[in-house]
Amino acid sequence: MHIPDGIIPASVAVSGYAATGGLTWLSLLGIKKQFTNPRNGIPKAALLTAAFFAASLIHIPIPPVSVHLVLSGLMGVMLGWFAFPAILVGLLLQAVMFQHGGLTTLGINACLMGLPALVAASIFRLRYLFGKEKPLPNAILAFIAAFLAVAMGALMAALLLIYAIPVYIDISAERTAVLALSLAHLPIALIEGVFTAMVVLFLLKVQPALLESEKL
Amino acid sequence: MLYKIYSLGLFLLFTAVAAICLFYTLPAAVVQAHGVELEYIKRDAIEVTARYDSGAPMAEAQVAVFAPGSPAEPWLTGTCDSDGRFFFLPDPEITGLWEVQVRQAGHGGLLRIEVDESGIGPVGSAGFTGLQILIMTAAVIWGLIGTALYFSRRQPE
Repeated sequence: MHIPDGIIPASVAVSGYAATGGLTWLSLLGIKKQFTNPRNGIPKAALLTAAFFAASLIHIPIPPVSVHLVLSGLMGVMLGWFAFPAILVGLLLQAVMFQHGGLTTLGINACLMGLPALVAASIFRLRYLFGKEKPLPNAILAFIAAFLAVAMGALMAALLLIYAIPVYIDISAERTAVLALSLAHLPIALIEGVFTAMVVLFLLKVQPALLESEKL
Repeated sequence: MLYKIYSLGLFLLFTAVAAICLFYTLPAAVVQAHGVELEYIKRDAIEVTARYDSGAPMAEAQVAVFAPGSPAEPWLTGTCDSDGRFFFLPDPEITGLWEVQVRQAGHGGLLRIEVDESGIGPVGSAGFTGLQILIMTAAVIWGLIGTALYFSRRQPE
């Protein structure tokens, strides 16, 4: 899902930056609404950014490709509105340190992972409808949120990559490779769904306040 | 009788002229290639190895080689073998920074290779070693933990 420099046309990269600008603004508005003092949300966001940053180094071989954890769903579930800026910072660090992703594609990558994280956040908020203390609805919602976040990101990335194949590339071979890579994200989506559900169950027992997204 | 001999002579003359014309217009190699001369010279080629950062080779990945000064039009395209390797011979007349782009399913990277009059530049790599990655990751995580600790300290009332 990390699109490197030089793969997509400049116009797409610029649109990605524009969309990321808009989504960051929206997230900051949401944070302002949710927190009386936004500083209170930063420790949790910083720690999850560390997890997000390191997760992409954990590779899971699914022949013929190798994919890595994304954790966009966990970010959304745990952070709510903070997820988008946190992912943006994590992606910047990954791009600068490891050339994983790229600086020109930072905007588009933030959309590919941040937008699903916000969707995951809103799915997980449904727990206030089903009873926020009950473990089962919490676990199910966390699983669905994280599964959909990865699947949505992989689908958006595949559509974008197929749209942006340059003329000098063997189009059918690249298309097959993109489809194989997208399908390889299904097991990752399952793994992250189960992992996020486990994290939520654990926190529900130990520190349920960490899952709250009401006014703090 | 005499007429017949003349016409036969004329016919032979035309045939000969036609044959000579054909001989010179056909590509020389086709007609004159009775012997073969083979020769070889030693040239430096470039071997590119493409691996994912997990260590797995980028088998059958697509490669585009860009000559210096034409970043839009690839000079050569091809695919890696099953071990993620790709060989090519840059034109020694075109000196400067050659760029090799390897991509597969939206993953990819760019390798820059210096080619000057004296030949191909030193062996290069676009990646980090495992230890470098470990130290960089640890540094970033420590920075983020520090941020968390800073913002979770007790606020003065």
